[in-house]
Amino acid sequence: MAEALPPSTAPGAAPGAAAAAPARRHLPPSLVIGAVLVALVVGVALLSYVWTPHDPARINVRARLAPVGTPGYILGTDRVGRDMLTQIIVGARTSLYVSIVATLVALVLGTALGLATAASEGARQSVMARAIDVGVAIPGILIALVLATALEPGNTASIIAIIFWFIPIAARVTIGPARQILALDYVEAAYAYGRSRAYILWRHVLPNISPILIVQASIMFAAGILVEASLSFLGIGAQPPVASWGRLLKEAQPMIDVAPGLMVFPGLAIMVAVLGFNILGDGLRAWLDPRQITQAGH
Amino acid sequence: MADRPARGTSKDERQGMNPRVLLVIGRETLTLVVSAMVGSLVVFALLRLLGGDVALMILGQEAPPEAAAAMREELGLNRPWFVQYLDWIGGFFTGDVGRSYSGGYDIFEQIVARLGPTTLLAFGSLAVSILLALAIGTYSALNSRNAGGTAVDLFAQLGIAVPAFWAGLLLVYLFAVVLGWLPAGGYVPFLEDPLGSLVSLVLPVAALSLGSTAVKTRFVRSAMLDVMNEDYIRTAMAKGRTFNAAVLRHGLRNVAIPVLTVSTLQLGNLMAGAVVIENVFVLPGLGRLLLVAVQGREVLVVQSLALVILMIVLVMNFVMDLSYGLLDPRIADRRGRPAHG
Repeated sequence: MAEALPPSTAPGAAPGAAAAAPARRHLPPSLVIGAVLVALVVGVALLSYVWTPHDPARINVRARLAPVGTPGYILGTDRVGRDMLTQIIVGARTSLYVSIVATLVALVLGTALGLATAASEGARQSVMARAIDVGVAIPGILIALVLATALEPGNTASIIAIIFWFIPIAARVTIGPARQILALDYVEAAYAYGRSRAYILWRHVLPNISPILIVQASIMFAAGILVEASLSFLGIGAQPPVASWGRLLKEAQPMIDVAPGLMVFPGLAIMVAVLGFNILGDGLRAWLDPRQITQAGH
Repeated sequence: MADRPARGTSKDERQGMNPRVLLVIGRETLTLVVSAMVGSLVVFALLRLLGGDVALMILGQEAPPEAAAAMREELGLNRPWFVQYLDWIGGFFTGDVGRSYSGGYDIFEQIVARLGPTTLLAFGSLAVSILLALAIGTYSALNSRNAGGTAVDLFAQLGIAVPAFWAGLLLVYLFAVVLGWLPAGGYVPFLEDPLGSLVSLVLPVAALSLGSTAVKTRFVRSAMLDVMNEDYIRTAMAKGRTFNAAVLRHGLRNVAIPVLTVSTLQLGNLMAGAVVIENVFVLPGLGRLLLVAVQGREVLVVQSLALVILMIVLVMNFVMDLSYGLLDPRIADRRGRPAHG
C-alpha cells in the first residue's frame, strides 16, 4: 500500500527515445487520461453535495443485500440496506478531503524544510539531510496508529498522520534540485546584488523547482487516498456515519462468502482515484519535464 | 547480494577494513543510534502531549478521580517524565516492559512471540518482490522492447493503485472461498509445521508484495535497458558471448544497486503494509497486536510496539545503507550531496 512514493526516475516507456526529446508542445496521453480520471473523481465528490441516489445514512432493511442491477440500487445494497452507489459517491468526498488537505499542508511545510536544508551549509546541512532521510523511512501507518491512540480516531487524525508522513518526503524531493539551482550563476549574481537568502529561495529557487513540486503533489494525492483507505479499513480513520471507501471494505470483509460483490466497487473506486492521480503525475512529469532540472540524478 | 565490488573499484579498496569503510560503518551506526533515541522520545512524547492523562485514556474521560489517582500510582505515572522514559527503555534491555492493562499479558513476551509472523511476512514479501521484479523486468527488457515497456508500466501503475488489503480480500475470495485451495486466514507457527506455515503465508505475501514488485519491476527494466547500451556489453559480445548472455552476466550486477535503492525506499511501506495485511488475514503478528492495543487505548503497549516496529525499519535501513555504501563506495560519497538516485 501507499507504494506511490519511489519516484520512477526512468520510465520504462519509450525505450530508445533519446531522439524524441522535443515533444514538449504535445500533451502526453498520460496527462489527458490522468486528468480525465481525476476530473471524474472530483466531479463525483462535488456531485455528492447536491445529489445522491439515496440518503447516504438511510437504512432500509427490507432492501438489504440487494444484488447488483436491482432497479433503484444499481450497485446493490449492503447488509443494512444502504445503497452502494450512494456510499461510493459520498466516499469520494472523504477520500479527496483527507488527501488533499494533508498533501497541501505537508507540501508547504516540507518544501520549506527542504529549501532551508538546501540553503544551509556544511555539517548542519548533512545532519538535516540525514534526519530527513530517516524521516522518510518511518511508515505512515505507524504514525497514524500512534496518533489514533492519543487523539479521537477520525478524519482529522488521518490528516495529521499523513502530514507527518509526507513532510520529510516533500523535503527530500526538494533538496537536490534546490541545491542545483543554488549553484547557478544567477543566484551568485543575486547574492552579489545584496539579496537575502530567503528572497533568493522564494524568488529564484521556488519557481524553478515548481514543476517537481507539482508532479510530487499529484503522486502524494494518490498516496494520501491509499493511506486514508487503509486507516478507515483498519477502523481508525473515518468513523460512522462518515462514508469512506476503506470502511466499506472493512464492512464487506465479514460478508465475503455471503455477498462478495460488496468488496468490488469500493476497491475499484480507490483504484480509479489512485490511478488517476498517479497517471496525472506521470503526464505532468512528461509535460513539464522537471528532469531538465534534476538531470544529475540518474 | 553481490559481495563483489562494482566496476571502477580499485584493487586495494577490496581489501576490507580501509578507513573509508570504517567511516561508512561509523556514520551509519551513529545515524542508527541517534534516530533510535529521537524516535523513542518522539513516540513517548506524542502519546503524552497529544493524549493527555494516560490514566484517563485507559479508564475513559469520565472516570472518577480516585480511580484515576490509583491508576496513576499503579502505573508509576506520578514520577518525572524522564524517569518514566528511562524505565520504559530500560525494560527492553531487562526484558520487563510491563503488562498490558486490559489484556493482562506480559508485553515483552508478546512482542517476542509475535516477531515471527511479522518478520516472515515482511521479509518473505521483500524476497519475493525482488526475485519477481528481477525476473519480469529482465525478461521484458530482453524480449520485447516496446510492448514490454507498456505492459510493465501498466503493471506498475496497477500494482501501486490496488491497495494491498483489497488485493488480499480478492485473493481470499478466489483462493479460499471459491477454490478452497488455501486458508482464508490464521497462522501456523513455522517451527511446529514449516510447510503449513508457508501455506498460511502464501496469500498474505502475495497481497503484500504486489505493489512493491510492480514498482521494482519498472526500475529493473529501465536499469537493464541502460545496461544494454554500455560499452562493456559490446566488449563481451566481441569476446564471443551472445547478447543475452552478456546482459545477464554483466547487467544483473549493475541492476543490484537500483534494486537495493528502491527496496530501501520501500522498507517503511513494507512494514506499514504488513501491519494492515496481518489484520486482513488475522496473523498473530506485531501489527495485529498493535491495532488491538490502539482500539483499547493501551498507551504502554502502543508505544512499545511502535518503537519495536520503528527499530525494525531503522535496522533494516541501516543494513541496506551499509551494504550499499560497501557495494559501491562511490555512492557513499555522493549521498547527502546534490540530487540522489
